[in-house]
Amino acid sequence: MSETKVVTVNLLAYLDQGEVGNDPYRVDRDGRPYVSVGDGGTVLGLRLGDNVFDHVGDHAAPGACLVHPNDDAHHALAGLACLGNRVTVRTGDAVGQVGVVLGKRGGGGRVIAVFPQEVLTRLRPGDQVALASCGQGAAAPVAGVTQMNVSPAALSLLGLNLPGDHLTAGVRAMLPSRLVGNGIGRPMAMWDVDLQVDAATEVTRSLCLGDLVAISDLDARTNAGYRRGFMSVGIVVHGASPQPGHGPGVTIILSGPAERFSIRLEGDSHHGLSEERLLSLGKTGG
Amino acid sequence: MNLTSNVDHLLTQVLAGEVWPPLADRHGYRIDPDGRPFFLPGMGGVTLEVHVGDPATGYAGDHVEPGLSVRHREPGANYALQYLSCIGNRVEVTSGPAKGAAGFVIGQHAYVLVDMDGKDMCQVTVGDQVSIFAVGQGLVLGDHREVVVKNCSPALLAALPGGTTSTGQLEVHVSAVVPPEAIGAGAGMASEYANTDLMGAYQGLGEDLSLGLESLRVGDLVALSDQDHRFGRGYREGWTTIGVISTASCFLYGHGPGPSSIMSGPASAFKIVVDDAANLISFNLEQPRGRS
Repeated sequence: MSETKVVTVNLLAYLDQGEVGNDPYRVDRDGRPYVSVGDGGTVLGLRLGDNVFDHVGDHAAPGACLVHPNDDAHHALAGLACLGNRVTVRTGDAVGQVGVVLGKRGGGGRVIAVFPQEVLTRLRPGDQVALASCGQGAAAPVAGVTQMNVSPAALSLLGLNLPGDHLTAGVRAMLPSRLVGNGIGRPMAMWDVDLQVDAATEVTRSLCLGDLVAISDLDARTNAGYRRGFMSVGIVVHGASPQPGHGPGVTIILSGPAERFSIRLEGDSHHGLSEERLLSLGKTGG
Repeated sequence: MNLTSNVDHLLTQVLAGEVWPPLADRHGYRIDPDGRPFFLPGMGGVTLEVHVGDPATGYAGDHVEPGLSVRHREPGANYALQYLSCIGNRVEVTSGPAKGAAGFVIGQHAYVLVDMDGKDMCQVTVGDQVSIFAVGQGLVLGDHREVVVKNCSPALLAALPGGTTSTGQLEVHVSAVVPPEAIGAGAGMASEYANTDLMGAYQGLGEDLSLGLESLRVGDLVALSDQDHRFGRGYREGWTTIGVISTASCFLYGHGPGPSSIMSGPASAFKIVVDDAANLISFNLEQPRGRS
């Protein structure tokens, strides 16, 4: 695999509106009804680096969610889009502006793209974007580890140390697999995993959008499932949720036997992927 | 259980359902935990050889649904069927050569699953119509208000061993206690719909996948540790959910035999008794016509 080239495929996607059912209420983990805000669509004022519990939102992502109206094309969009892929607006007031894919989220299979805030204000649901998808199928830099959902260029921004047969990752937190909720049992090339944590959970108290996290005993090479002695590393792509079994979302990028990983727990000193660094990939092609 | 409850105030709705065909896509294969493709029977249709009391593992199948897999063609009517059907509800076949045969609901799994006598079941196939006498949602235990009950018919409640202890806890008998690491697909979904797949029951696969759940049986009462399923399905330390295993073998990774949830509350509200006889097979859930 190491000499196999990854290919780039230009995809068409549409800015998402987000949907609410004919009943405005969802039910939180204590049985209280609430109105869901920021679940899909284009969200202003939420940035990489923000604490995942700081805003009143439900799976809110920092930027614009991308979809495709045809189910099969939508699955391809969700499956092929990778962290770091360039997104170019093709229609509407922001035509020509560039954003970068942060990750993806499950169920509806939305792709999350980060744009500068002044561009986000000019986007409108239904606007078309071109997404230069690249990254799936890339060989992992460490033998025995599976890599997914990340472009080669973006991988270099994540502060990973990859000497030989060992991978060192600095993360905000390491969580046990029992905290993985929605997304477990689903294909990790197309979904994220929600962490079943809330603002009172100590281990994720300082969790921010763009952070790296590690999840122990989780094998996410295909579907996500429990496997003793495995490790998965991903990036936080959306904020918390009041729904039981849901929470901040992690798009998995690396998974393999735990002995292939050296996880450095950085806690409050962790610096996740910044908007500036991610958007720099839009200039170089990601 | 002899408990103070509101069962005398519950209503029964007669719901129509239809045995639904197994569905596949043109690519066929799914992926097992070790990355191997498989194509196996499982969801949909009428699965003949698996009844309550039988092992939940050991079949060459994926998401094996014991007995009849029932839904309704119209989405809204189907949600009514899935949400309102409760374990132990009487089911009658209303068309085809098995017309008049009766069985009972053993749980939900995106279909309502129905067990009945094997000889009757042989006569049922896809498209046959059934009536389900749905009763149970809204059930409240007068002396255990912190425990939320759902998907549990009055007949099942009455048949469950246990009851209120001298210290005021709710004694529930289960055949297994399930650790939170086992919770697979179904986390985050509504707890009146489908079930909670349990990982760690992949008979014949690696030891690193095992959570000691290979001996589960269809119909087993189980206690799910650190699970709060009152308003959906989620992890919550110090909470317990009681379920009934309604589906069998899985090879799709992150999936497995699964319980439909029937009770959820703080762990302190329960006295869990591990009892090998805690299985629907031990209860006489055949009900007279029109009753729960």
